Parts: sequence; C-alpha cells; structure tokens
Amino acid sequence: MSAAGASVALSIRDLSHGFIAPDGRMRLVLDGLRLEIATAEIVSIVGRSGAGKTTLFNLISGLLSPGTGRIEIGNQRGGAAGFVAYMLQKDLLLPWRTVLQNALLGLELRGKVMARHRANATAMLERYGLGAHLDAYPAALSGGQRQRVALTRTLLTEPSILLLDEPFSALDYETRLMLEDDVMGLRSDRGISVILVTHDIEEAIAMGDRVVVLGGRPGRIIEDIPVRLATAGRRDAANAREAPEFRAYHRRLWAALKGTAEAPDSAQIPETAVPGI
Amino acid sequence: MSNAASPAPSAFGEHLPSFLLAVLVIAAWQAAAMLGFINGHLLGSPAGIVISAGEGIRSGDLISNTAITLYETLAGLAIGSLAGTASGLLLWFVPRISRPAEGFSILLNGVPKIALGPLIVIWFGSGVSSKIWLAAISTYAVAMISATAAVRELDRDLLNLFRTLGARRSAVLRKLILPSALPWIFSALRMNIGFALIGAVVGEYIASQNGLGHEIFVAGSLFDLNTVWLGIIVLTMMAMLLTAFVRLVEERLIRWKSGP
Repeated sequence: MSAAGASVALSIRDLSHGFIAPDGRMRLVLDGLRLEIATAEIVSIVGRSGAGKTTLFNLISGLLSPGTGRIEIGNQRGGAAGFVAYMLQKDLLLPWRTVLQNALLGLELRGKVMARHRANATAMLERYGLGAHLDAYPAALSGGQRQRVALTRTLLTEPSILLLDEPFSALDYETRLMLEDDVMGLRSDRGISVILVTHDIEEAIAMGDRVVVLGGRPGRIIEDIPVRLATAGRRDAANAREAPEFRAYHRRLWAALKGTAEAPDSAQIPETAVPGI
Repeated sequence: MSNAASPAPSAFGEHLPSFLLAVLVIAAWQAAAMLGFINGHLLGSPAGIVISAGEGIRSGDLISNTAITLYETLAGLAIGSLAGTASGLLLWFVPRISRPAEGFSILLNGVPKIALGPLIVIWFGSGVSSKIWLAAISTYAVAMISATAAVRELDRDLLNLFRTLGARRSAVLRKLILPSALPWIFSALRMNIGFALIGAVVGEYIASQNGLGHEIFVAGSLFDLNTVWLGIIVLTMMAMLLTAFVRLVEERLIRWKSGP
C-alpha cells in the first residue's frame, strides 16, 4: 500500500477529451486538465454552462473513457479499491420500488443484500427522517425526501469519492442547507472525498475546501482557490455563509467566472453584451 | 363540504344511464319486431336471440364454440404479445439493429394481417392452430412497437446510474427496463385483446369446423340472424371480460403509479 494511495483519492493528469461534432470535426471539451483530490476533501467546481463539468463527471465515474490522459482512483482507507458514486439533480428513484428498496438498489446491483445491509439502510433512512416512509413509494415523497433517499442509496455503496452534480439545486433553501450539512458530515465521519459541481457560488464556497473554476473552450482550470473560513465552531452550511471571509471569496469567484465569459467564445455571447439592439 | 354533499358516484350509479339506454333499445327492438315494423327474419329480435342462446346452451354448441374461440384468442394473444414484447425489449441489447427493426415492425403493423388469413390456413390447416397463428401475427407488431418505444423513452440518466452502480446487462433488463416498460406492455396488451379476437374469428370465417366465428358464418349463410347476433354478443362480452381482467392485473402490478 503506497502512501499516496492512502491520501490521494483521485488524481487526474493531462486529461483531454473531445467529441465529434455534427459537422464531422473533433471538438475538444476538456484540455489538459490536472487535478488532485485528497481523501476527505470537498472540492467544488464552478463554471459556466458548457465548460465541460458534466463531461468531467462522466469521465471520473467511468461512463466515458478519456481521450488522452489518466484518471486514477486511490484506495479507500482500509486499502480496498476506491469506488466512485454519482448523484445528480434528478433523484433517479425507481417509482416501482419502495423507499427502502430504492435505498438498497446500489448494494443489490453490486452483490447480495444481507440483513446487516437492510439494517444499515433502515438506520440511515431513519436518521434522515424517513423512518415512517420505508414502505412508501417515491411518488408520495417531497423533493427533499426523495433526494435523501437518493443520497442514502449512494452512500450505502460506501464510495470513496462522491460526485455531486447540482444535487440540491431543485430543493428549498432549508432542505438544501440540511443536505449540505449531511454531505459535509460525510467528509469528517467517513473520510469520503466529495466533488461538487454547482452553479451556486455560495454553495461552492460554503461546502468546499477548495473551489476550482473551470472555464474557456475547451475547458481548463482557471483558478484553484483554497477556502479558509473562520467559523464559530465546526463549519456547517449556515455558519460558513456568515464567515467574514465569505464575501471576499464570493467576489473573487464571481470575477473569475465573469473572466471566463470574456474569453473569446463566439458561440456564447451573453445577451447583455450586445449593445443597442 | 361540497364533496360530502355529493359523494362520488358508485360503479353502479355510473353505469346506470348506459344500462337503461341498452334496456330501452332492446325493448324498442323487440316491440318493433313483434308489431311488424321491422322484418324479424332479416334483423333478428331480442326474443329470438334468447331462444337461440337457450338452444345453444342446451346442445352444448354455444359453450364449446365459445371455449374454442377463447382458447384461440388467448393462445394467440399470449404468443404474439410475448414474442413482440420480448423482441422489442431485447433490441436494447443490440442497438445497431434497433432502428431497422423498428422500421420493420412499423411496416409489419401496416400489413392488414387478416389478408394473410388464406396463407396461414394453407400453412397451418383449418384446425385450431391456424387461428392461433393469425391471432398471434395480429398482435405481434403492436406489442413490439410498444416495447421498442418503452426502451427508447427510458431515461438515459437511469441507465447511467445502473452503469455507475456496476449493474450487469441482465440486471439492467430485469430491474430497470422490464419494470419501466410494464405500463407500455399492458396498454399494448389491452389493445391486442381486440386484435387477437379479430384474428381468431376471421380465421374461423375462412376455414373451420367450430368456434364462434364458424357459428356466426354458418348462421349468416342460413339467414339465422338471431344466432349471428348471439355470436356477436358473446364475442363482445368476451372482449370486455378479458379487458377487465387485464386491467385488474395491471392495477395490481402497477400499484406504485397511484402512490401508497
């Protein structure tokens, strides 16, 4: 077991990826990406639409194979092979399965579901306030409840890396802060590394140990900003937003994102930039 | 509350107007035949149909003919729907041929299956099996088109979820594709009840020794209109009962749709 395997959860080196556009030409989406994510680290990725965030996630989760470059997943703390789990804005619950059956789906697809798995799932769902809904169908749940079932399903597979693609953007503010706290808790309780893609700069700062700005066309890393917030007590989704440094990070990220808009890109001229029409 | 004042109509209350209308039409028909307004020999009459039904039950012909047609319809429906659904779903495994195959199934759907009747009778004889095959061919295309559509409409993100969770293809088929296709499969099945009945009855018209289609055909050529009506009524009841049964199974299996 190498020392690097224990501390680096994910290492991306010189990753480039493209696709063949309808006009038959190769279009590069990501160009020469280098990114390293430590065990138990939360990295937020922000960027404009089309910066290649979803492609990056599909590459990390193995849905796509990289054009060039390498993606290495580090081992888990115990030495077992690392495993990437993926969670989207859509909860992707199966409507014909009950809450408990949905939560167990990942385990079921990876092997046999044991009694202890069932007990684990029940305990986790109870902790998320879904104890009374174990046998309910997803149609009967609210958006926040459904997203918690999805999170339970994801976490029960015991991933070493959790990819979150705008998972909370459709939820109300209160539920959203609660789930953000849940995810931040995973880092400290279980040593899970989290990569969060979001359009919401505040969420990126509040949750991230680092915020990476992806921009340009093809997408590359424009900024990689460590976030240090002076919070009263343990950092959580609410007090992080009240930290004195929060606004400064916000300004800096906003400037970086606007900078990416000014990069030469004829395909994406914002309406406000067209004068006098 | 207004809801409490006017409770939801019961199944009986809901069907009462159509029932009364049917009684009225039958009474008017019988009266017209008895009073000589219409020719009972050319149009039949409700009383004549009842007599014909009594004779049919006493001799056992009505029962056995009904059983034979029901058997042909069910066997054809099962074969056609199973084969159609299976080929539609399995196309997911071979995306390369899925588009041409869908085109083929649409072409097949356009063929008037009944026109194949004489061919089927030549190939499979004038017994029960030619009716089963005609019913099966009549139902295959609808089942396949429906299953293909179910696969096509499947959420790509769900497929990706199954892939990132390391699902085998067989597990994707069993745990994702099949359950999400169930509503499509059942709607095709309900449509296909009618098509299977047409296939079986027309097969009996073309060449047969028994079955409701045979009975109707023979009675028609003898101008026994009451027996023709009787056959039509039994066929209609058969279709309604089969549809009700499929609906019942569907509601059991797709309980999740309506929530808890």
